[in-house]
Formats: sequence, structure tokens, C-alpha cells
Amino acid sequence: MSCTLGEVKNRADLIIYWGGNPAECHPRHFTKYTIMQKGKYVPNGRKGRTMVLVDIRETPSAKAADLFLQVRPAKDFETLTILRALIKGRRVDAAAVAETGLTLEQLEDLAHRMKTCRFGVLFFGMGLSMTRGKHMNSAAALTLAAELNAFTKFVTMPMRGHGNVTGADVVMRYTTAYPFGVSLSRGYPRFNPGEFSTIDLLVRGDVDATLVLGADPGATMPQPAIDHLARTPTIVLDPKVTHSSRLARVHITTAATGITAPGTVYRMDEVPLPLRPPLSGPYPSDEDVLKRIVAAVKRKPAWEPAGV
Amino acid sequence: MNLTVVKNATCTFCGCVCDDIELHADGERITETKGACILGQAWFKNHTAERLYPDALIDGREATVDEAVEAAAEFLHAADMPLVYGLSNVTCEAQRQAVYLAELIGGVIDSHTSL
Repeated sequence: MSCTLGEVKNRADLIIYWGGNPAECHPRHFTKYTIMQKGKYVPNGRKGRTMVLVDIRETPSAKAADLFLQVRPAKDFETLTILRALIKGRRVDAAAVAETGLTLEQLEDLAHRMKTCRFGVLFFGMGLSMTRGKHMNSAAALTLAAELNAFTKFVTMPMRGHGNVTGADVVMRYTTAYPFGVSLSRGYPRFNPGEFSTIDLLVRGDVDATLVLGADPGATMPQPAIDHLARTPTIVLDPKVTHSSRLARVHITTAATGITAPGTVYRMDEVPLPLRPPLSGPYPSDEDVLKRIVAAVKRKPAWEPAGV
Repeated sequence: MNLTVVKNATCTFCGCVCDDIELHADGERITETKGACILGQAWFKNHTAERLYPDALIDGREATVDEAVEAAAEFLHAADMPLVYGLSNVTCEAQRQAVYLAELIGGVIDSHTSL
């Protein structure tokens, strides 16, 4: 269950950030969308809202919070699961509570706030979704929010990082039915994270050519993945010559999204927004280059899935 | 130098995608970013309309876009299991083309979401 940031602004009286540091990573999130704004049903703005930060260390975002809960590293899943139990009025094991680094009073207080708010939202960052437990942590957060709807209105939203990563999810969903990690090698879409996710494919050496666009895996991925990109033909489309370009067979310079290239991007709440580029540059857009690659591939003999 | 002012410009640095930024540009670079945060400012001022990089590179040597497009198509077409990866800092229009290309070459398509 999710909503738009406009609904958060106009309705949310309990705002929880879990495993994220918006003060430094999404600097205008507080002021533009969440805690600082006056909303239609939150006329007092900041005074009418409670902000809770859950993280493993006290980041600069803690200064903006009414309540900071320092959870022990890699205990997010346990903490979320205890909250689910408390919300249903179940008793929880003292040893399990002690493991989270929080006290029972702190957890009961948070569970109470969650149940009694009018409209709650849980924003979760990569501190939750990319640490030990990974997608199980995200699933626990989503389940907690879903269960809270027995008491009040409660939603979750991931704090998406890169500009249009939300758009990638949306476009892949409406074209293939799946949001990422989609194989079209049998002529129809198949989804299987772990099998068709990039790092796994590269580390295992499953792919034999890679087209990289809007990313720089050469700077961010684990070394075995980078080694495989260097070993097999890699093609990079990017406004700059990146680390990935240096290990690639082919690099094509493209226009910078939103600066010299127009188009559409999705905000983290899946609201599409048009770009208004202020400059026009000498390079073609990614879209244009991709169309030309598509046309060049189409001039070659058609590919057919094996066994057809 | 003609100054252009773009109101309600959209910043694509982070997932907030703020669309209330006023940009002043002198045709070559962005000189002012009203309303942008510190990350947005750096993002807008870090890109210019100058030709700072070669149009294309093949094996580290400068090439035309046409040659690079042909080489890219050749590699992707010849591969048994090609991968299209990234898609985070490009437009939805480019993402649609990327999905189409992945389908044409019978490959895998994936984004930063899987990391």
C-alpha cells in the first residue's frame, strides 16, 4: 500500500523514516513533501506531525526527528516482527527484544503511535532494503504497514535513490509485467531475482555482452562483476566517459537527462513529471541512440528463441 | 550571450524529482539554480552544453556515432545471452526503447532496483 507524496503532505500525522538519511540524501524531502509542510488535514504543519527515525546510527536526520530509535545493525527484521506482534497485542520474548538494541517501552510506544495515528507513512531506505535480510526486510515493513490498516490508514514508500529508477520499474512493469530482472531469452518475459539480477549474472559469467545506460557499474559493482564486464563486450551510453566506458568495447556519448535531453521521469511516488532542459548540447539523446541500435539490429537476421 | 530562464525545471538527481526549480542558463552552462538543494545544484552545474568528450569510442579509439551504433548492434546481436542494464538516469522514453531492444536481442533487462 502506498500513496503520493501529496497525500503525505496533506494527511500524514506520523512519519517514520527507517534505514535512511533524507537530511543528506534527499535534502528537500522534509521541507517539500513531509514534515515541514502545512497540509489540508495537517493545518499546523510541523507541530501537527510526529517524525520518527529508526537507524543504526545517529545521522544528521536525527536532528529533525521527534523520536530517534537506534536499532542494532542487522536487527531490522527482528524489530519489525516484534512491532507486528505488539500491534496485535501479543506478548514478546524479553530476550528477542534485547537483541534489537531497543527497550520494550520504546517498541510499545512506537506500536502505540502507529496504531493511534490518523495517517501513518513508513519511508524505508537502503539501510533496510540493502542490508542483511534484504528483500525479507522490505517484506516485513510492507506487511507491518498492511496489518496496521486494521486500525488506521498506513502506507509505505521506498526512498528511491537515482533520478528515474522508479521510472525503470514502471516502464518494465507495463511492458513486461515485471519491475526488474526480466529475461526475454525465451521470447516471453520471465522474472527471477537472483537468476536474472545483474550482479548475479555477471559474477557467474552468464552473459556474453552488456549494454549499460544510465549507470556506472565499473565504479560501483563488486570486482568479479567488473572483471566480467571487461572480459566480454560491453557497450556504454553515458553523458561522460565513465569507469565503465574505460573497460567497454564501445562508448557513445549521449545528452544529459533533464539538462540537454527532454523526456519524462517518475518521482519516487510514481508520479510522472516532464523534464524542461535548459540547454541544448552536441550529443544525441539515449532514446535516439537506442532507436539507431534497434534499427541496426533489425537489419540483421531475426533472432529466434532456442527450440522454436 | 543570451540568458535563458527555465521556470519549474525538473531535477533528476535523486528520487525526489523536484519540479519547482528555476534555472538560468547562458547557452553553454547553467549559472543559477534557484530552489535546488545542494545535491541538485551540483548536478545542474556539473553538466554543460560543451563538447568535452568524443562522440563515440570503439576499443578506446575515437569513432563516429554511426560506427559505434553498428559495432554495438553487432556485439548485441552476436551474443547468446546479452544484458541491458542500468536505466536509472535515463528518461522513460529511452527505457521503453531499451526494453524493446532487449526483446529484439532475446536478452535480460535489469535496473538498479535489483542491487
